[in-house]
Amino acid sequence: MNFDLDADQRDIADGARDFYRGNASPAAARAGLEGGRLEPGRKALADIGFLGITVPESAGGSGRPLLDLAVVAEQGGAVLAAPSLVTAARAAVLLADAPDLAAQLADGSTAFAVLDGAVDGSAPSVDAADATLFLGLDGGDLVVGEGEVLPGRPVDATRGLASVRLTSRRVLTPDAGELWARARQVGAVVMAAEDLGGAERCVQLGVAYAQEREAFGRRIGSYQAIKHMLVDAWVGVEQLRSLVWWAAWAADCNPDELPLAASAAKACAAVTFERAASTLIQVHGGVGFTWEHDAHLYWRRAKVDRLLLGDEAEHLDAVARLAVTGALGS
Amino acid sequence: MDFDDSPGEAGYRARVRALLEEHAGELLHLAPGQEGIDARTHEAEMRRTQRVLAEAGLVGVTWPREYGGQGGTLVQQAIVAQELARARVPGLINHIGIGMCGPTVIAHGSQEQRDRHLARLLRADDVWCQLFSEPASGSDLAALRTTAVRDGDGWVVNGQKVWTTLAHVSDHGILLTRTDPEKPKHAGLTMFVVDMHAPGVTVRPLRQMGGRADFNEVFFDDVRIPDEERLGEPGEGWRVALTTLMNERVAIGGAGGAIGAPVEEFAQHARERLPRLDPERQVLARQAVGRAVVAALAARYTGYRRLTVLSQGGIPGPEASAGKLAGTEAGLLMADAGVRLLGDDAVYAATADGDDRWQRTQSWLPGISIAGGTDQVLRNILGERVLGLPPEPRSDKTAPFSGGKR
Repeated sequence: MNFDLDADQRDIADGARDFYRGNASPAAARAGLEGGRLEPGRKALADIGFLGITVPESAGGSGRPLLDLAVVAEQGGAVLAAPSLVTAARAAVLLADAPDLAAQLADGSTAFAVLDGAVDGSAPSVDAADATLFLGLDGGDLVVGEGEVLPGRPVDATRGLASVRLTSRRVLTPDAGELWARARQVGAVVMAAEDLGGAERCVQLGVAYAQEREAFGRRIGSYQAIKHMLVDAWVGVEQLRSLVWWAAWAADCNPDELPLAASAAKACAAVTFERAASTLIQVHGGVGFTWEHDAHLYWRRAKVDRLLLGDEAEHLDAVARLAVTGALGS
Repeated sequence: MDFDDSPGEAGYRARVRALLEEHAGELLHLAPGQEGIDARTHEAEMRRTQRVLAEAGLVGVTWPREYGGQGGTLVQQAIVAQELARARVPGLINHIGIGMCGPTVIAHGSQEQRDRHLARLLRADDVWCQLFSEPASGSDLAALRTTAVRDGDGWVVNGQKVWTTLAHVSDHGILLTRTDPEKPKHAGLTMFVVDMHAPGVTVRPLRQMGGRADFNEVFFDDVRIPDEERLGEPGEGWRVALTTLMNERVAIGGAGGAIGAPVEEFAQHARERLPRLDPERQVLARQAVGRAVVAALAARYTGYRRLTVLSQGGIPGPEASAGKLAGTEAGLLMADAGVRLLGDDAVYAATADGDDRWQRTQSWLPGISIAGGTDQVLRNILGERVLGLPPEPRSDKTAPFSGGKR
């Protein structure tokens, strides 16, 4: 039993924290809502190698396990970085047999997005708003092509959501249903990791404020009504961290467990991040309700992420179906 | 990162498994569907089971060798617990002695107390209980009123304890008393080892809401305790009690062990019962099943993280309280879904074929949210000691206990 990050992974996390803190911020997420540029942006993520963490070395990536990517994604989530590493992780799975395209993913020379739903009019898909090349599932085949992008008015601009209608397509992998499902599970794990980082940051910000702010002659963190809300959010974060690590580990080391672990992590992420962000607003009172405060930017991310790549209801249903058919063993 | 036994751990597991097979004929075993054995009706068999396990080296795994333990690791202890569960051996009769009283004697007792008590405790020659809570002091334990008054070479105890698990079969207990009411409440306490068969000790069963009587009221009327059974210095009782309480929180859910049914058993129940609900109800029931499974897996894997820290030499900290909170929540979700899956039978105490597992679990879990630190006390501990939030103001912390409201 050794369920902890190793020294390498801790170093990776430290490096990613420094990078993201220097190159992205909730302020950029706020500006994004008014048309500002998203940070750190695709090129910076490619330059530091984050887009190619799980791309094979032969295709110009680092060929590292998903757990490494999840550790990095958590740090990006903490500062609401964009674009998401969900796309990089998911596309890396889909492009396993297309090294030339995988190389363009890793070096950032092509802006990929993975489409959910029908390729003739997709569901809102992550990072599709400024993508130029799309991966989709068309009649069971994995296809790649260009498309017409239809963005909606964003709740959270950092997710780059848009619907897409493919205008050209060629088959990359026929009969790719299993590959597609696995890529979506990997994407769910990475989104859960980003949500973990966001939720933990909400707890940190809420605790810091509750340690300072005074009301009725006491610091508000001394009131159980405030203290217990923050503790519940923190306990949730620690539970989520365990599921994210387990799911990321399973992707490489025990693939049979991935469907259960990925759905458990994504369902847990949906409620944990939302609760942490709502708690952050409530602890701050009126201050937390302002445009200037960062709280609503985490809340926006939480409100959107909980519905992407399968909502809580879909993943709870999947967990239940897998559990009753023996996925837990006996 | 991995979830496998190391070669050393795998070897240890194989030895444990072989020992349990070798001694199977001398041990109690749970019948299918049975999750515990009542010490009130099977005391002798439960004591014998523990003695056999102790002689095989499977009790007190982490205790020092000089006190009859194995000097082993927390991971080895977890392996023994897993293998006992796998072999369907019921929980040990002296679990409170092993998990809480014994470690307190090891930490604060005299050499003579350790020699006198610990080996007998491990063999269940003596069963132990923990005499802390009182009718007027539950969460506010340091407000307790049972007194011990110095009298010659000993002490005389008067008062009442309550919610004392296993007192009815116990030979000894660790007893927290007030010895100096003129000191502030935490400073006037002293801990003792009390002989439960001494004159003046009266144990009365206390029936809990589920109908069973697992715990008791204990009355002390002029009970004499020799001074050599004092545990720690006079006035040091609170510090001694904290050792017990920390061990308690680790024992309940701290290392990710299931509270209530194991998730595998819950999943098996859902497999049998889901198809018997009407199709629209199945959709809703799967949501509840999924939510409970997610909570149970999260608690389990968080426990694995804590176990990893402990196995690398970390010491149990206040984070263990989070394990109890999350484990309790998962247990409640599984019990609730478990009952709802029974359909029309959910309103009865047992199904037509007599299965009452989920109703019984549902009716004892409220106690887990209270015992060993209520959910609310644990949130205070986590908020103050882990998150660093300011403490709740306590107006009675510095005043003499006797001057407070009594």
